[in-house]
Amino acid sequence: MADKEFWTGSEKYLCDRDLAQSFHIARTLGMPLLIEGEPGTGKTELPLQYAADRDLELFVYPTGSKSNVEQFVARFDHVKYLRDSQIEILNSQREEKGLVSKLSTGGRNPENLADYVVKGPAAQAYSAPNSVLLIDEIDKAPREFPNDLLYALSHRKFIMPESGEVLDISEDDMPAIVITSNREQELPTAFKGRCIYHYIHFPEADIMRQIIAKHYPKVENKIVDVALDVFYHLRRIGLERAPTTRELLNWLKYVKTYSTAEAIDKIQKLEGLGTLIKTQTDLERVQKKILNNPLDFKKRSTPN
Amino acid sequence: MFETLPHKFSEYKIPVDVRALLILRKAMEKDLVRTLGDIYNVLKGIVVKDPEMMGPFTKAYYDYFLNIKMQYGDSLSDAILRSDTFRKWKEDNLDRMGDDFDAEDIVNMFLDDVHMTHYDIKEVLDGRELWDKDQGDIEDKDSEESDENQLTRSLDKMADYSDLSLEELLERMKEVMDQQKGKHGGGSHWIGTGGISPYGHGGAAKDGLRVGGTGGGKMARKVLNDRKYFPVDLDAILNDNNVDAALASLKGIIEETAEEKLDIPVTINKGLKRGGLFIPEIKNKEEDKLQVILIIDNGGYSMDPYIRVVQTLFRKMKTRFAHDLETYYFHNTIYNRVFLDARRTKSVEIERIIKKDPNYRVFFVGDAAMAAYELNGISVDSYRKMKKQFKKIAWLNPEPERYWAHTFTTMVIKELIPMFPLSPKGIEIAVQQMNRKKN
Repeated sequence: MADKEFWTGSEKYLCDRDLAQSFHIARTLGMPLLIEGEPGTGKTELPLQYAADRDLELFVYPTGSKSNVEQFVARFDHVKYLRDSQIEILNSQREEKGLVSKLSTGGRNPENLADYVVKGPAAQAYSAPNSVLLIDEIDKAPREFPNDLLYALSHRKFIMPESGEVLDISEDDMPAIVITSNREQELPTAFKGRCIYHYIHFPEADIMRQIIAKHYPKVENKIVDVALDVFYHLRRIGLERAPTTRELLNWLKYVKTYSTAEAIDKIQKLEGLGTLIKTQTDLERVQKKILNNPLDFKKRSTPN
Repeated sequence: MFETLPHKFSEYKIPVDVRALLILRKAMEKDLVRTLGDIYNVLKGIVVKDPEMMGPFTKAYYDYFLNIKMQYGDSLSDAILRSDTFRKWKEDNLDRMGDDFDAEDIVNMFLDDVHMTHYDIKEVLDGRELWDKDQGDIEDKDSEESDENQLTRSLDKMADYSDLSLEELLERMKEVMDQQKGKHGGGSHWIGTGGISPYGHGGAAKDGLRVGGTGGGKMARKVLNDRKYFPVDLDAILNDNNVDAALASLKGIIEETAEEKLDIPVTINKGLKRGGLFIPEIKNKEEDKLQVILIIDNGGYSMDPYIRVVQTLFRKMKTRFAHDLETYYFHNTIYNRVFLDARRTKSVEIERIIKKDPNYRVFFVGDAAMAAYELNGISVDSYRKMKKQFKKIAWLNPEPERYWAHTFTTMVIKELIPMFPLSPKGIEIAVQQMNRKKN
């Protein structure tokens, strides 16, 4: 019986309330949860932290432009099969020549095709009841990849290549499947229809403060205040690629090595801007808009 | 039940199919739906497939389940304050709303009630246990006790409520829904003491137990009152707010084909790894060369507001997909040349553009409105030539579609070049139609 308890996050991970509810709905229904949202909003963290917190087996499939269902589900090892099927002949030849030692197939039997099926993360997760399966950044996959998964998702079944073995799992044992996407391409409607959809909105300052506290509990409030102010200001000025949670955390990681006064000074001077701003045009824009008016900015961002 | 839901939601352009209804039904069987707020959340997970659908979905939900209709330009609060549902809810809940609440607070309480989920109720009940433990030793105070009793009563009702069986719940929903449709449904309401939402946090809050502080109500408020989330109206003319939605529409421009061919290098590589066992590897034929010509009318004063946003759109597209983007300008209509720069000083002949690869996708952007004499033979001829050379061609018009028929030249150009509104939806359709054309 898979874990159907409502999970609201762990000590290290702050799970947004709406997300926690969607995740629970998806698990209860035995459907995958499709999470979309800006990069750096913690989409991938959810299944990782959930598996760690609940001590569940985790299978990850990072998607890429070359992803296919074979890698994801299972492939047939032709080389081993060929080798093993030749071994019997080789062994009899060796016997004829008076050699005693025999070649071994390592317990595999060429008659049994299932021995040569190499299972990918999906097949492994389906064989391990109550596990967690993460399909990361599915939007990077070729378009047919999500389409190829439709049957497996709605019927909870995989058919193994060559051996024809059917791997099915009951609704109760269905692994918690989390699929993330950055929306670089639209996913097929039929695919989305089989998922519970959740869009992560960018966290607001109060939530962000809690997220920071989970990561760096020791950073002083004053530093966080100033950093958040600068951070949300940068997000507001309409950059091509607005900084995200991940970048903010990296930035704090850098400044927190200094004393409070130094750190605040560094934040206000936007030192380590490279962790926040990732394109040249944005960098120029920030310099034009903010660094040229340091007085104005300092006034705004100093907490009273 | 919910037979009429797909129809109502389709009015808001939210497709709800049989599968979605079956999933909803299953969610009810699995005890996921106990309150109106639960329906909102579950249904949202099932039918919303895009952040842009959030606003319309919430509108449809308020219309269908609460009979609260938002009119054009309304904020959610306006619509709620006007509705009968809210009025009834207020009557039923007057006792827990003191005089010290203003209209906004009351609307927020209403929203919290509507969006209260069974998770919230559980939290309160759990909190209640803790609270009991903490308060065990101060029961001797009279005032505390009366408050306590009241609280116990309302929390007990919550607990009763959460024990309802599915049948009872469905029965109640049906009953309430029938009453909502009729104008004079008295007695129990969807919302209110007897309705779907048992005692909100108003009473409990006094004692430091608060439900749904960050729950669904807040989200709905945000979705419907914050420009960032809503309205991204897909039919709205392109602007800074929906430029990303338009970009998503443009993504369809990268074609996918089902045509397959033998992938020789991969076959050889994999075969070698398999120790000489060659199994043909098939790959999809891809058309990754994406070439776009953008021809913008930057002449008239009427076009000014759109030029920047169109350029932002295509510039963003350029950074997303590696491709070839050429931009030209014209004033009102093209004759035998278009201009290379926005100030229209350097020009290039149409003949030269027509010599380009027919795989270019051509987008004209303009209102196609001008004096009739301006659209002369040369101009019409140029459009015809362009259309003949570039099969994938579209005209994006920032004027709302309903005005097109009033302008003669617009109608003429529309006959020459397929015309679509310059809205995310329009761009999407334009791209779809382009993709259908094979060279």
